[in-house]
Amino acid sequence: MTSLDLDPSEILERYNVKMEKAMTPDDAAAELYPKDELIRPIAESIYEGEEDDTVEALQKAIDAGKDPIALIDDALMVGMGVVTKLYDEGIIFLPNVMMSADAMLDGIDFCKSQAKEAPVSKGKIVCHVAEGDVHDIGKSIVTALLRANAFDVVDLGRDVPVDEVIETVKKEKPIMVTGTALMTTTMYAFKAVNDRLLEAGLKVPFQCGGGAVNQDFVSTYELGVYGEEAADAPKMAEAILAGADLGKLKEQFHQH
Amino acid sequence: MTVNRYTKMAYASADDMIFGNSPNPVKAGLDLEIGGGYTTPEINYAPRPEAGETKEKLIKEYERITRDSMERMVQVGFPSVVLETEHVQQMTNNPTWGGEVANAQKAIMEDYHDEYGIKCALRHTPGDIREDRDYLQLRGEKYNTLMESFEEVASNGADLLSIETMGGKEVFDRAILRNDVPGMLFAIGCLGTMDMEYIWQDITKIAKKNNVVSAGDTDCAQANTAMFIAGGLLDKNLAHTLAIIARAISAPRTLAAYEAGAVGPGKDCAYENTIVKSIAGVPIAQEGKTSTCAHSDVMGNLVMQCCDLWSNESIEYHGEFGGTTVQCWGESLAYDCALMNSALQTGQSKNLRDMMVLSDKYRDPQGYILAYDNAYKIGEAIVKDSDDIYLRAKNAAVECVNLLENADPKLQMTRFEKNALADASEALAGLTDDSDKFMSDSLEQYKEEVKVFRPENYGL
Ligand code: B12
Repeated sequence: MTSLDLDPSEILERYNVKMEKAMTPDDAAAELYPKDELIRPIAESIYEGEEDDTVEALQKAIDAGKDPIALIDDALMVGMGVVTKLYDEGIIFLPNVMMSADAMLDGIDFCKSQAKEAPVSKGKIVCHVAEGDVHDIGKSIVTALLRANAFDVVDLGRDVPVDEVIETVKKEKPIMVTGTALMTTTMYAFKAVNDRLLEAGLKVPFQCGGGAVNQDFVSTYELGVYGEEAADAPKMAEAILAGADLGKLKEQFHQH
Repeated sequence: MTVNRYTKMAYASADDMIFGNSPNPVKAGLDLEIGGGYTTPEINYAPRPEAGETKEKLIKEYERITRDSMERMVQVGFPSVVLETEHVQQMTNNPTWGGEVANAQKAIMEDYHDEYGIKCALRHTPGDIREDRDYLQLRGEKYNTLMESFEEVASNGADLLSIETMGGKEVFDRAILRNDVPGMLFAIGCLGTMDMEYIWQDITKIAKKNNVVSAGDTDCAQANTAMFIAGGLLDKNLAHTLAIIARAISAPRTLAAYEAGAVGPGKDCAYENTIVKSIAGVPIAQEGKTSTCAHSDVMGNLVMQCCDLWSNESIEYHGEFGGTTVQCWGESLAYDCALMNSALQTGQSKNLRDMMVLSDKYRDPQGYILAYDNAYKIGEAIVKDSDDIYLRAKNAAVECVNLLENADPKLQMTRFEKNALADASEALAGLTDDSDKFMSDSLEQYKEEVKVFRPENYGL
């Protein structure tokens, strides 16, 4: 280096350092865990993203007489609730959420395998990446978060022809459909999906997101609801379960 | 063809690294020399979506783009320019389309060269089409189409051949969302490097046959994905310390193109290029403050430090108040180059370089590591074990972690960034030094965890 030097605080601002919350993630989580001695370790293991611990803790609870299906809602979902809250508050980051989602899915599978009757699904959701588009990381995050919130996901993958989306919706009768597009060239497929759904009389909310997509574009077709971040997807699904119609969804999730 | 590993640095010291100069400059196209004492703008563009409907429309669009770009360069008196055409998928899938576009563009560039003497070259970058809907298909039918595409563009006027390959991406996509540093090492350092060696030997053959330049690659599919997921200072999707570890690991992977016969200029969006240049001494393209039309980064001035070509990454072709987009952004690039070239002429280049570096070095851990002095150290860690693709990638990661753990206090990091760093450090410390063991363990693990991972893509 030449002898040039400077005090960076005169030329830039590390806003993230300045704004960081005082509380450590573990402390924040500790405040949120349920008190029940059998439930708490399950919730903790979800937060830690340790699937082996999740299964072990579930086994203990089941041995002690807890109902495996009830544990999905009462323990696993509670743990995931802690994770979602901390993510929303900016205390933990996405990879933690993904690891928790993995543990959550293993937990759900285990509970199902231990139960006599199948659990009632919260609702089915069809997810896809627009025709011609292979950018699927955002979609993978969306499906993981939906599954971790106990929704039943039909993942059509990437580069999905419009026909296939329509056929799947006809067959699966989902409560919502999600679409991801990262290219300005591929996002127009969403309009086609919208038109074909309407033609077929299927008025299902169609949540659209991904790098290229913005609220203005999504607002140009009737079924479209714009999603800025993957974490919005489960919130939208919950809103639908709570009775929100298209108008309500747009009101809640559209920002301007 | 063989693969020749770099066992030592191209420079005696980091301070010798500078923009517009590289130890192994490259002559290309119409009288252009890249890395031979001056910097050159590299204009990038994408056709409007409607233009992709037919071949004829597409060719017309590229003709307009080319003419507009060349016209602005001569109107403002810039001495040299590179145009880069990153293929839209149709152009690679139908190899003759790419060829016809190259041909049409080159004819216009030749006219300008004949009339005004402007030094120029055309880069073509076919899309990496080697996948079907569900799987990467790196070595199947699509590979042949891709090679045909290279053949067509090379024989029809493209001077520089590039591609953004995606070997390792299926494993990386999983690893990056789970803070899995060993997974990143396996994906980028091992799988990515193996695919690079394979494909770049073939691209080099085609380049030689057609007497054009086998230019270089970028780890866009992985290191840039990490950078974009990490995002801005306030985003909460990935620690920036992890994004820069992925970047460090990508350097030996991108280096593999040059080991397999490429000679530069490296691709613009390879932010790992400063590290690569420190080892291979090849000229590099970079992008930063003048590619904000395509994406945001946190080191817009810093990445100019050692560039030979200065690029805008991509812009859709359309009108702006100041002309068409290629004219506006091309002009900005060219003025930056004029400034760098003035610094070179007046003996001020190191000062300018260091001012650019200082303006971003402490903005973010990514800029800190890519600053040429630290980039050089990563380079040294790579060549230490140059014969072992796993070890050299691991060395790069370890050195990156060391540099951050012992960083100048002027670089402030959040607790979150530091924790992610500590976790990465621990994961790296737990790794074996035995490559065979690492490879076979990882193979087992990711065959299990990543449903779409197919070892045969890598000849495994
Ligand atoms: C990684 C990447 C790739 C990888 C993709 C890997 C993968 N498995 O996805 C690879 C290398 C394969 C690739 C290929 C190409 N790419 Co690309 N790529 C990118 C890059 C660098 C990052 C994208 C990314 O993963 N972002 C991170 C994810 C997490 O973000 P996300 O998907 O938007 O999701 C977030 C939100 O949007 C939201 N979300 C997403 N979906 C949904 C849905 C709902 C319901 C909700 C609520 C939320 C939500 O959740 C996520 C996080 O919260 C971008 C650059 C950029 N500026 O974006 C270019 C970019 C998207 N690519 C581009 C291009 C041109 C291409 C290629 C054509 C290049 C070529 N010549 O071959 C090919 C395309 C092939 C094809 N047919 O699709 C252009 C697109 C330009 C355009 N036309 O608009 C970009 C913008 C780069 C650029 N500046 O030019 N690419």
